[in-house]
Amino acid sequence: MENAALLKEKVQEGFMVEGMEDMNEEYLKALKQTLTIVGDTELLSVPPLLTVYDQAPTLNNKITALAIMQDEIGHAHIAYRLLKDLGEDTEELLYNREPNRWKNPYAFDFELSNWIELGVFNALFDRAGYTLLGDAGEHTSYGPWRRALVKVDKEELFHLRNGEIIMKSAVKDPELKKKVQEAVDWMFIMGLEFFGVADNLKSRSQQIEYKLKGRTNDELRQKWLSTAVPFCESIGIKVPAHYDEATEKFVIDVPFPCKFDAENKKWLTDQPDTWENVIKRFKSRGPQNQQFVERIQQGAKELEKLRNEAV
Amino acid sequence: MTAVSTDTQKYWNALKEVMDPEFPISVVDMGLIYDIQETNGAVNVTMTFTAVGCACTEWIKGDIENRLLEEQEVREVNIEVVWDPPWTVDRLSEEARERMKNWGVSSR
Repeated sequence: MENAALLKEKVQEGFMVEGMEDMNEEYLKALKQTLTIVGDTELLSVPPLLTVYDQAPTLNNKITALAIMQDEIGHAHIAYRLLKDLGEDTEELLYNREPNRWKNPYAFDFELSNWIELGVFNALFDRAGYTLLGDAGEHTSYGPWRRALVKVDKEELFHLRNGEIIMKSAVKDPELKKKVQEAVDWMFIMGLEFFGVADNLKSRSQQIEYKLKGRTNDELRQKWLSTAVPFCESIGIKVPAHYDEATEKFVIDVPFPCKFDAENKKWLTDQPDTWENVIKRFKSRGPQNQQFVERIQQGAKELEKLRNEAV
Repeated sequence: MTAVSTDTQKYWNALKEVMDPEFPISVVDMGLIYDIQETNGAVNVTMTFTAVGCACTEWIKGDIENRLLEEQEVREVNIEVVWDPPWTVDRLSEEARERMKNWGVSSR
């Protein structure tokens, strides 16, 4: 397809795609897929955060947590609004989509156990969001998205710093420090999985070729590790990764990917897994997937019911 | 003897390093700091927030306190939050405006 090759060359040379007239079908499809993942991820980050927000130790902590959730809903709105401009039926997408069709990360299909986990969620998962969206903000060839990401980038940094503050203050208390370690033990490897399949298992990527994003999965994973590992180490929290001087890269110290015991939120690091199985696990969804999506859709469904009754 | 410092410039400079949690603009450039006084190692800061419902009041106050305590002679920091005069965008410094313009964020 000559059209595709030409568009790929143009965007690699810095051409900014501004509207549908600048795209081909392939670009549009890859862009829609990307924005759906982004919107779903932003929106579905809220239900897990809500599971523990009433455990906030102070009123101001609680307001901060709510401000973060408000940001996330705003970010989701941006992604869905861009999808709407691209011709997607966002009402249908939001309120009539089956829970297992949502594209949020597996890590968001879990209830949090305590306030500390909210901090680790912000510090590790929002860091992953910050890494991924920061890359798009720097490289994406889709102009409307790139401009919208300026604000998103700043806000994600705020979430990440909130997580670091919660973790930093918790480790001063030995009991709470244990909770931080327990949270990091399951959430760190979840964070690694955010970036997806290892590069050597991916033959090609439309996202990269059309420059929807700039860096590969493994490059982004390294970028996340380059700040997540030093931060955790600086507060005395152990993580299963270290910096290797010789290769100048972060090395993961456990088999990755490996099997996960969803019921106990524990990684079975003695049972290495394949990415194929990981994708299967993602697709079969985590324990709270249905409940969380239903919560998002509940208001719209109830209103619809009332409307029908009135008629 | 009470030593009232007339030169609090160093504390203003110190607070230029304390960033708003959302946009990396200092609390000084945000126009949140109204006054700084120092008496015998006690620094009194009069400040405001951009909104009464600001989600980060404790966070920002903590950051200000910690930064000022890094100064050798400072042994206590008292922060008084006032709502009069209220904060408006007019309080943003020129530097803050420029940076926000760069990010495509309106400062009006």
